[in-house]
Amino acid sequence: MQRRDFFKQLGTVAAVTAVAPAMSFAADAKKTKGPNDFSYQQAVEVITGGKPVVVSSKVELKVPEIAENGAVVPVTVTVDSPMTDSDYVKAIHIFATKNGNTRCIDVFLTPDNGKAMFATRIKLGQTQEVAALVELSDGTFLSAAQSVKVTIGGCG
Amino acid sequence: MGKSQALIKIKPKKYKDGEVVKVSFMVMHPMETGLRKDKKTKQVIPALYINDVKFEYNGKVITTMKVWETLSVNPVFTTYMKINGSGELKVTYTDSSGEVNEKSTKIKPKG
Repeated sequence: MQRRDFFKQLGTVAAVTAVAPAMSFAADAKKTKGPNDFSYQQAVEVITGGKPVVVSSKVELKVPEIAENGAVVPVTVTVDSPMTDSDYVKAIHIFATKNGNTRCIDVFLTPDNGKAMFATRIKLGQTQEVAALVELSDGTFLSAAQSVKVTIGGCG
Repeated sequence: MGKSQALIKIKPKKYKDGEVVKVSFMVMHPMETGLRKDKKTKQVIPALYINDVKFEYNGKVITTMKVWETLSVNPVFTTYMKINGSGELKVTYTDSSGEVNEKSTKIKPKG
């Protein structure tokens, strides 16, 4: 009888140890699934809410074609807009399409800006496309994208 | 971080009322992504980055930004701003650790 009990216990212990790592993996996966872990397409859909996005020449995206250092890549987004109370640029979103964190920055502008322009510096892990999504005050979305060749990745 | 090191630059330096000027805001910040490992201890450096930046001019919010880890170390935020009377431009920025800092400059239009 004692021997039988011993094997029973052994069985349960083995079952627990087999299941436990799987459970902890699941917990880890849940932890890392933050609001910024979407792919590029998903992130765009979350922002636009399914509205169509038009590739427009009004949005000017300035990124170097070859970035020697991926840790510092200057990005400038300029939008051709009068910036009056009735017609202005509401938001500018910048994406690095193949980074682990696709979304770089969301900028919310007001007519007081006078000119729709935003510049910053981002990190790029590998050669990829940098995209800008612009929301106008009438609810339409415009976009522009450009590929950047990265020699040394900057997401360490 | 303790002391916050930030700088606001306005171009051109001399401006008139109603002019649209370029405003650059620079912060000294490590912007850790939470993916990098310490070379000596082999441990992951926890994420620490700027979350939120807000530009206020005489109490009126002009630009708000939601920032993610992907911005480079010591980030720069550049936009334009319409000068509308003398006053103060205040920039408030929040860390992912919850630390709130602010930096302000006086706006003095001439002519």
